[in-house]
Amino acid sequence: MSRQAKRGLLGISLVLPSFLILVFIVVLPIIGSLKESLTNDGGGYDLSNYKFLFTDKLMRSNIIFTLEVTVISSLLVLAVSYVLAVYMRFNNGFAVRWIRRMYMIPIFIPTVIATYGLMQLLGNHGWASRILYHLGQDSFPRMIYDMKGIIIANLWFNIPFTTMLLGSALSSVPDAVIESAKDVGAGRLRIFWRLILPLTYKTLLVAVTFVFMGVIGSFTAPYLVGPNAPQMLGVSMEQVFGVFQDRQLAAALAFFTFLLCSFIGYFYVLSMIKEEGMRRS
Amino acid sequence: MLNKKKALSLTAGLVLAGSVLAGCGADKKAESAADGGGNSTSAPAASSTEFTFYYTGSQNVDDLWKTLIPMFEAKNPDIKVNPVYVASGTAAQPTYDKIMAAKQAGKGSGGVDLYESSIDDVTKGKNDDLWDSLSDGKIPNLNNVDQQTMNDVSNLAVPYRSSAVVLAYNSDKVTAPPQTLDELYDWIRANPERFAYNDPSTGGSGSSFVITSIYKFLPEEAIHNSDPSIESQWTQGFDLLKDLGKYVYGKGIYPKKNQGTLDLLASGEVDMIPAWSDMVLDQIAKGQLPASTKMQQVTPGFNGGPTYLMVPKLSDKKDAVYKFLDFTLSPEAQAEVVNKMQGFPGIKLSNMPQDIQDSFKGVSEGYRTFSLGDLGKDINQRWQSEVAAQ
Repeated sequence: MSRQAKRGLLGISLVLPSFLILVFIVVLPIIGSLKESLTNDGGGYDLSNYKFLFTDKLMRSNIIFTLEVTVISSLLVLAVSYVLAVYMRFNNGFAVRWIRRMYMIPIFIPTVIATYGLMQLLGNHGWASRILYHLGQDSFPRMIYDMKGIIIANLWFNIPFTTMLLGSALSSVPDAVIESAKDVGAGRLRIFWRLILPLTYKTLLVAVTFVFMGVIGSFTAPYLVGPNAPQMLGVSMEQVFGVFQDRQLAAALAFFTFLLCSFIGYFYVLSMIKEEGMRRS
Repeated sequence: MLNKKKALSLTAGLVLAGSVLAGCGADKKAESAADGGGNSTSAPAASSTEFTFYYTGSQNVDDLWKTLIPMFEAKNPDIKVNPVYVASGTAAQPTYDKIMAAKQAGKGSGGVDLYESSIDDVTKGKNDDLWDSLSDGKIPNLNNVDQQTMNDVSNLAVPYRSSAVVLAYNSDKVTAPPQTLDELYDWIRANPERFAYNDPSTGGSGSSFVITSIYKFLPEEAIHNSDPSIESQWTQGFDLLKDLGKYVYGKGIYPKKNQGTLDLLASGEVDMIPAWSDMVLDQIAKGQLPASTKMQQVTPGFNGGPTYLMVPKLSDKKDAVYKFLDFTLSPEAQAEVVNKMQGFPGIKLSNMPQDIQDSFKGVSEGYRTFSLGDLGKDINQRWQSEVAAQ
């Protein structure tokens, strides 16, 4: 066997396990649910489930609600994380040391427990409203059982990891570049817009992908702190599947969520391929 | 160095793949072993019998059986109980289907020797001829059970505990609790945002409130009707629920799960909720609900009734199961039902100590047993689109 062939075989055998796992855990179930979602009541195949998905008032409001929550959460998470990461990269002091030590804590707290904690904190008679009451403020906006609650929960769950991701990208921006820019007279804002942002833009895209997919498929927090209607797609899927026992409609919901995620994933993969091509040339 | 790294990741990859495959293999083996155990028609070994007991419910049901089974095994060293806990909700349906499928395939009882479920499965199994007929000749303690209850299920099932949905209220705030359904609706309207019921698809107490409100406008016997043609008569009830939406907690917030409303009552955000009697009693005893919490049944009553144990007719370990059922109905085991999960005893109250009899006064009566079959699913669906999303 030639050296070339040996190397090729090794390559394939390295890729094979993950490829097989992907096929059995991701690809086959997706094909399965696509087939299920196209099945109508009579056992034939048509688009009736998707038609219901986009024409039923309740389902349509669920989809819009999910997209709203996802987009708002993603933007807020990115903004907060980016500011936090930039702050930690270019400052050094007491506050930074403490942020660095503490910001990972939410990752280690189980979702359910964190969600109940938020309910205790932000509920109608929670700590926040009680403290405000003693400060003379007796009206408290409704956060739990509302969209605001879901968004706050998403911030809690997603900021640490996103900050970590962006932090590592920022630390790979060489000090020399920034210093030389300063030497030729560039101001702070100019350095940020012309140097830092373009250099970390790729990671920002990766972060968007992670947050978007995490939020759109979330279940525990929206289930516990979300409103009864409209619901996020994950909660609605569980209800359609488990309570109404409409497997076809649940499959259609699942496939639609998958399409939304792959839409974002497409841009991610596209940018990765572009980068790969740039490196090679 | 590079080669070493490659070799390392190759090994890691192979190990991962191997363990995944091994995992699958082991699962399959376990499955077929269980199947084999269930299907074997050979007589059990003389020294010890092991039977499989499927039950379903919330965590408190699991806790109860984890207490009762060791008590039973200590007394009957020759019998082993293999408990299979199926989480509540839709997971219960497959157990029934499993017994049914095994019967149709001529494979005994499908490895299920004892099954716990509600009246719906007792009735379904009666029509499918799945359950064994029980008598006090085989189970002496059946004498302790109310004969009327046994007649209701044609002696096919043992009611070993029961509970009912009641109104739980804060007696500091509510001095004169509603006695009838109409008084309850008036109270809800007169005290906006002080009443809450949970999303009916997530728990029986909210579901009972919804069903009771819908069937208020239907003839009394409709609560035993599972024919879909009755659905056209629901409209008036749903209109009532839609109207009440403006007056309930948060002007239309329905917490998830039975516990969701209990939490609201505990924190003082509402003063009255429909709740399962056993959960309320249990949480008062543990101090999770304030001691001022009281219960009241209304007329016509909310949903309630016994939970039953059924023996599949084709089980080949009936003798051991009978002994277990006899133990379950003994005052000793029934005291656990009361103390451990605050359920109403399955045997007649007169067989229980006086203090237990007193604690159930006014609560363990007046409820109604609804058997709507699959209609509950349609009610939840319609509630979601009409009441929750109004």
